[in-house]
Amino acid sequence: MLTRDRQPRSDRALPTFITLVVLGILLMTFHVRLEGGGVVNVLRTGTQAIISPVQRGVSYVVTPIADAVEGLGEIAGLREENRFLKAALEESQAQLIAVEDQLARLHLFEALYGLDELETDLGRTVANVIGRPDPFDVGLIIDRGSIHGIAVDQPVIDSNGFVVGSVSSVTPFSSTVVPITGNREGLAVLVGSQVGDLASQAAFSEMRLDIPDAKEPVLAGARVLTSARSVLFPAGLPVGEVVSDADLATSAVSTTVRPYVEIDTLRIVIVLAWPADPISASGEDEIQTEITTTTDGDS
Amino acid sequence: MRVRTPAAVFLILLVAVVLQSTLFGRIRVITPDLVLLVAILIALTRIKPELVLAIAFSAGLVVDLLGSSLLGLRAIVFMSAAYIALRTRERADIGRFATALWAGGMTLIGVVLLVLLGTLFGQSTILGEHVLSRLVTVPLANMLLAFMIAPVLVRTVDQDPAALRY
Repeated sequence: MLTRDRQPRSDRALPTFITLVVLGILLMTFHVRLEGGGVVNVLRTGTQAIISPVQRGVSYVVTPIADAVEGLGEIAGLREENRFLKAALEESQAQLIAVEDQLARLHLFEALYGLDELETDLGRTVANVIGRPDPFDVGLIIDRGSIHGIAVDQPVIDSNGFVVGSVSSVTPFSSTVVPITGNREGLAVLVGSQVGDLASQAAFSEMRLDIPDAKEPVLAGARVLTSARSVLFPAGLPVGEVVSDADLATSAVSTTVRPYVEIDTLRIVIVLAWPADPISASGEDEIQTEITTTTDGDS
Repeated sequence: MRVRTPAAVFLILLVAVVLQSTLFGRIRVITPDLVLLVAILIALTRIKPELVLAIAFSAGLVVDLLGSSLLGLRAIVFMSAAYIALRTRERADIGRFATALWAGGMTLIGVVLLVLLGTLFGQSTILGEHVLSRLVTVPLANMLLAFMIAPVLVRTVDQDPAALRY
């Protein structure tokens, strides 16, 4: 065996190792104590601002390569997927006709009762997903930043209107989005007429739903929407569906929810400018009444 | 250490960080941790062990800063992997396959440590749905990459065309 003439194993390696471990723990402590703000936020934003132009440039070059490699891996299932999509298309077309009929009736009733549409349109910024920080980080890097009007904590949805997550950090030209499946903070949701908390579970794509003051059982397939009690998302956005039935044994009900969004396949996301007026929204003390009329994501 | 070595290390790390967060962030079938791999392979060069640790720490810190998890977590993990790599690097000198296996083993230690520390510190952004499969696929992908790039990387950093010619 040939051994290379490297630098001798010095006695300073272990002290250096211990010093750097201590430094790392200090950094972690700073991060926790500052709750990700202050100096930590400045460092993070600064580093991302430096790297993001390079990432954006490289992303334009590597996207076709990544798509080609992904495509090669999916060739085997294309025929089956094509058959499934044809069936889904026929079903969707039938549903579309039914919805159009309901919509026409809705417009008729609105005209009869003289109802005006509420000002509910939110500013939307469409962004491309350009990558991820590393294989273990569930965060997504998108190619839109503060100069495009994006701010920290703004909600993010996919092109179908399904909830993806929220913006965790912003640089002028890029942002990082943390999906709901990777967010420690629970999300207030609505299932039927019941309000519950949705929390992520380590190593699982499915999320845990807890309804503390349940009045009725929750059935599999029930749609889960964002609640007006949520401070992170506007009410009525589709989140996912209940996986298994949950009986009403006590006053609390627990079950699992499968999010509609598959984070790994996301290429385009939409950042919502919500709340429209963050200053007044942060001062609200009263919980708004549940409004569940926004169902565009289910189309 | 020659004057061009720091520049080479800096460029290699920059390329690793950018490729990791763009190309390998998009491909689901191949999931290496390129920055961790570079931090491990730097241990095979003639750079002083203290500097190897500092480079690995800095590389981890940059990934921490680009991500959404706790600052310093990957810095400690990458540096720990580099430290074990420094202590065991003679085992990688046998041949190309040995280098690849060794790099895969070091990566496995690194990713297990990352998940353990992430669990201890409640880092839900690290404990995503694919965390268990990634514990296997990341070391395998790094092993494959190490087989291909280890000699080139060491020769570039050391500016020694004879390096790792087993």
